[in-house]
Amino acid sequence: MDGDSRAKMEDMFIKPGNQERGWNDPPQFSYGLQTAHGPRKNLLTKRVAPPAAGPGAPPPAPPSFSPLAPPPCGPAPPPRCQAPPPPGMATPPPPPGPIASQREPDSSQSESEPDVEGVVSALNWALGACRQAVPGQVCDDIAKRVGVLEAGWRSGRLSLPVRRRMGTLTRELQSGHWDSADEIHRSLMVDHVTEVSQWMVGVKRLIAETRNLSPELLELDQDPAGPDQDPAGPDQDPAGPDQDPAGPEETTSSQS
Amino acid sequence: MTTYQEFIQQNEDRDGVRFSWNLWPSSRLEATRLVVPVSCLFTPLKERPDLPPVQYEPVLCSRANCKAVLNPLCQVDFRAKIWACNFCFQRNPFPPSYAGISDVNQPAELMPQFSTIEYIVQRGPPAPLIFLYVVDTCLEEEDLQALRESLQMSLSLLPPNALVGLITFGRMVQVHELSCEGIAKSYVFRGTKELSSKQIQEMLGLMKPTASGQQGRPLAPQDAVAASCRFLQPVHRVDMNLTDLLGELQRDPWPVPQGKRPLRSTGVALSVAVGLLEGTFPNTGARVMLFTGGPPTQGPGMVVGDELKTPIRSWHDIQKDNARYLKKATKHYEALANRSAVNGHSIDIYACALDQTGLLEMKCLANLTGGHIVMGDSFNTSLFKQTFQRVFTKDYNGDFRMAFGGTLEIKEMGIGGTSQWKVCSLNPSTTLAMYFEVVNQHNAPIPQGGRGAIQFVTQYQHSNTQKRIRVTTIARNWADAQSQIQHIEGSFDQEVAAVLMARLGVFRAESEEGPDVLRWLDRQLIRLCQKFGQFNKDDPTSFKLSESLSLYPQFMFHLRRSPFLQVFNNSPDESSYYRHHFVRQDLTQSLIMIQPILYSYSFYGPPEPVLLDSSSILPDRILLMDTFFQLVIYHGETIAQWRKAGYQEMAEYENFKQLLQAPLDDAQEILQTRFPMPRYIDTEHGGSQARFLLSKVNPSQTHNNLYAWGQETGAPILTDDVSLQVFMDHLKKLAVSSSA
Repeated sequence: MDGDSRAKMEDMFIKPGNQERGWNDPPQFSYGLQTAHGPRKNLLTKRVAPPAAGPGAPPPAPPSFSPLAPPPCGPAPPPRCQAPPPPGMATPPPPPGPIASQREPDSSQSESEPDVEGVVSALNWALGACRQAVPGQVCDDIAKRVGVLEAGWRSGRLSLPVRRRMGTLTRELQSGHWDSADEIHRSLMVDHVTEVSQWMVGVKRLIAETRNLSPELLELDQDPAGPDQDPAGPDQDPAGPDQDPAGPEETTSSQS
Repeated sequence: MTTYQEFIQQNEDRDGVRFSWNLWPSSRLEATRLVVPVSCLFTPLKERPDLPPVQYEPVLCSRANCKAVLNPLCQVDFRAKIWACNFCFQRNPFPPSYAGISDVNQPAELMPQFSTIEYIVQRGPPAPLIFLYVVDTCLEEEDLQALRESLQMSLSLLPPNALVGLITFGRMVQVHELSCEGIAKSYVFRGTKELSSKQIQEMLGLMKPTASGQQGRPLAPQDAVAASCRFLQPVHRVDMNLTDLLGELQRDPWPVPQGKRPLRSTGVALSVAVGLLEGTFPNTGARVMLFTGGPPTQGPGMVVGDELKTPIRSWHDIQKDNARYLKKATKHYEALANRSAVNGHSIDIYACALDQTGLLEMKCLANLTGGHIVMGDSFNTSLFKQTFQRVFTKDYNGDFRMAFGGTLEIKEMGIGGTSQWKVCSLNPSTTLAMYFEVVNQHNAPIPQGGRGAIQFVTQYQHSNTQKRIRVTTIARNWADAQSQIQHIEGSFDQEVAAVLMARLGVFRAESEEGPDVLRWLDRQLIRLCQKFGQFNKDDPTSFKLSESLSLYPQFMFHLRRSPFLQVFNNSPDESSYYRHHFVRQDLTQSLIMIQPILYSYSFYGPPEPVLLDSSSILPDRILLMDTFFQLVIYHGETIAQWRKAGYQEMAEYENFKQLLQAPLDDAQEILQTRFPMPRYIDTEHGGSQARFLLSKVNPSQTHNNLYAWGQETGAPILTDDVSLQVFMDHLKKLAVSSSA
């Protein structure tokens, strides 16, 4: 299964409710499951009229399953499948989010393990662009939170789904897909608030401020590169303001 | 040819309206003889993805005391560009912008398929939505941590330009300044002192300072806005600071001695919240969200004292007039609720505690302002967290499913007056019940045109801050009850009639003694059966009801047993909670609450609905019961034994695994969408939680009659409740009796 499909599955999980704190607490659905607007399959709304029997008649006896000769102890086993299952069906693929039979995927290895350097440098790239237009105090606050994120990541305190989704988030950010990045931040806040609440609001603000910057402050990475590649920086782009010091008509925002 | 069922469904789909009678009796006397009043359930903001709003103002009738909106029932002269109001018959010229209309080029509002139509009318600058969090800090650390996180999460769900504010309370009440830099400041109020709106605004610096003994005047609007900025700031500006502030919220520092409750000043906290919004943003959409983990125990609005040995009032206490704080506390919250409603501010209550929190006294805050009540055991539960998330769900357009500052006007033909209500806060499922009185004199001729018409005009602020007007215009034929009683009977909508009578019953129950309501309900049912039943006098076995009424007695049977009318099995808070949701849900959900849905899963075929009866409980079935507030999955005795033996893990019993999974999948659909989230009970034969199922089913087999039938089918219920059969027998006897 490739990284994206696994990421998708991680987005659609169900956890059991908190039976210790709440009577019959219902299961908890991930943000991905709750926002998926699939067509409603069944509407359980039908009722049955009571039988028009006269007074005093007992309700009709429904057909009951006559068991096979019961074993000496315990009930007869359930009816077997009529035909042997077709090959390949013996272990059905896990359906998206069945209740009580799926834990949150937490595999330890993955070929697409996100890279902390890539994620942090992407965030810092955006922050660097923001510093030209956004008040310093706000940028410092964001920087502090990116620091908390980095420290938490490096010390192994962030779970794999969070790391993966941050990888996707920064890829979207670098490609200028602001709504998508915003949606990922939201899904992380809903699904993993305990892990991310300290620093995620900084990422949220960063997305909000970055998308409002005028385009020439940003060198948008049109090719959605992976987090392990460097984002295109101004020194690589021949048209960048740093390259050509002459001509006021070419260097607008970097004039001091 | 459309059947009545289809007609009813089409009308509900298009207009969000369902009438108890779809042919209207032509006189007041005949209407009262029908027993069930001419009434309807109306969902003002029913979701209509297929109905794009129009971007112009509605055209109104020019008669001053009419002002009905142009609609498909109006007669139009396209050549003269004149239309005749169907309510008052005034002839009105079309406005100049309608010069190009003709019968092949009609404006949308004249077309029959646009009997419901929505107008976008932006008047004045768009106003941002306001969210004011009022947070109880007398919580256990685990609960407070969970609540902190939920509130932090909610900042990511709010629109960026919404205004947000924070008030925390325990023994004292603190209003927090949300500045963007520097030290966090707050204004502290004593939790014991009743304060007027003016005092609150003065103390928060929202009034001009007095000069030479003059009364402090409220600030001019722009100054008030600037001053309130300290307390209510746009999310996009303060989200980082507020996240930190929430993260650092501490438990109320005042120590709670052994045997005592924490001192909780909910009454003052809400006074401050309402006063703050009143003084800064009157007439703008706002939500006050109260998060509380226990009852108010000091100051105005207290519901119980701080001694744990004095329990909070039960229904028995109330019946014996032994609830000393009840009247005064209710009065305090009702006053706040009315002030809020006038300003278009709604108040939500999120109450999470194992004991009662005072919902009985505080329910008016939500009920009068269209706010939510969510009741849970702890903030650290999925029930609270997900229900709270769902407050912020977005619709197919990416807008919140909430509307503010609603007013509903109803116009009826011939009356000349218009009735208007304020419906502070709405969502797409909010459903109102309206009861009409036919005023025609008996034997007066049927009004001109043969049809009665009603127009519903709902003005509101959409969550995307646009001002909108939704207009629904419907008509039904009048009928002469003397000669057309069978037609009127055929037009009866028993499902909505059950809900409408139930809402009337709940209304009576909240204002009268309990047993009288059941007697009233029974009397109405007997009268209805006497009027429409087919029978021979004094012969109960001959009694029959036509199809349009056949399910009605069963609805009434279950309603009598429901928590809306039977309160002694629940705490006063629980009853308030159940009733709150019952009187605002749409038809389908309300019916589920009256008579829960029961589906049976077995090897014999696809899942099927079964009688809500003890005979449906069988060893080899799995049952899924939906009461709206609970989802119960019950495994019959044999199923439970198979499950315990682990057959579902074996390849050759794959079908058993699928059988176990089927009700879970169906339950999941409900769990993913319902607001509030229901409790989820997975139980089996003999399980202690099976009582949720056993208490709802009709006890056709009880310990009293089980052996009389000589056949042991279904699970017996240990109860002395009358069964549906016995109920129906009594009903038939009374209906056919010539001495009734």
